Amino acid sequence: MKEITAIIRRDKVTETKQALVDIGYPSLTIQSVDGRGKQKGTMHTDMDSDNFITAVKLTPTPSTYALEHTLPKVALFVPKKMLTIVVPDDVVSTLVKAIIKVNQKGMYGDGKVFVSPIEGALRVRTGEKDGEAIT
Amino acid sequence: MKMIRAFIRPEKDQEVVLALEGAGFPALTKMPVFGRGKQKGLQVGPIHYDELPKTLIMMVIDDKDVDKVINLIQDKAKTGFIGDGKIFVSPVEAAYTVRTGEAVL
Repeated sequence: MKEITAIIRRDKVTETKQALVDIGYPSLTIQSVDGRGKQKGTMHTDMDSDNFITAVKLTPTPSTYALEHTLPKVALFVPKKMLTIVVPDDVVSTLVKAIIKVNQKGMYGDGKVFVSPIEGALRVRTGEKDGEAIT
Repeated sequence: MKMIRAFIRPEKDQEVVLALEGAGFPALTKMPVFGRGKQKGLQVGPIHYDELPKTLIMMVIDDKDVDKVINLIQDKAKTGFIGDGKIFVSPVEAAYTVRTGEAVL
């Protein structure tokens, strides 16, 4: 068994869920999280046109104000959704490929996918263990 | 690769994140959680708090950086009082960047 932890854009959750249903592994856990990556929490989206950046500078928010003035440094975060999926070993690469395909916009902030081992599982309702518990 | 999960005091998270950024580990995920430890919560006079708010910081790093990151987090999150939190380390087999589709951290 493997656990797939995918940290993705908030607006891609519905599409990702549908992609998982199409493959036949619909069960998942979704959490709202705040994240930052190599770019240290700076937003890179469709809105990154010159006009939009000018508009943001004209209407200062606490973050832009802190960036432009020498205030105590603030760590910026971007809201993300975290999906956790536990699946058998043999479908991991299929699922990872599907998640990447749906979420790939080619811009910073698309997210990360982690695969880590899971040693055991138990279905609470029936007491089924390991492989049976996740099918 | 290893996944570090650190449960720290919510008021310490900015300090910890900025220290990690300064040391070259800017990438992390945080989420608010509630939990309790060995002391079964907190008793303040007649009031008993069963679950206390904490911040969970999750980050995936290379094996060689684990000790460095744990020391950094402990250094900044420590107050010396009960409730400073815990750090857990677990294995990660693969990490993919969605933007490029490559299996590198």
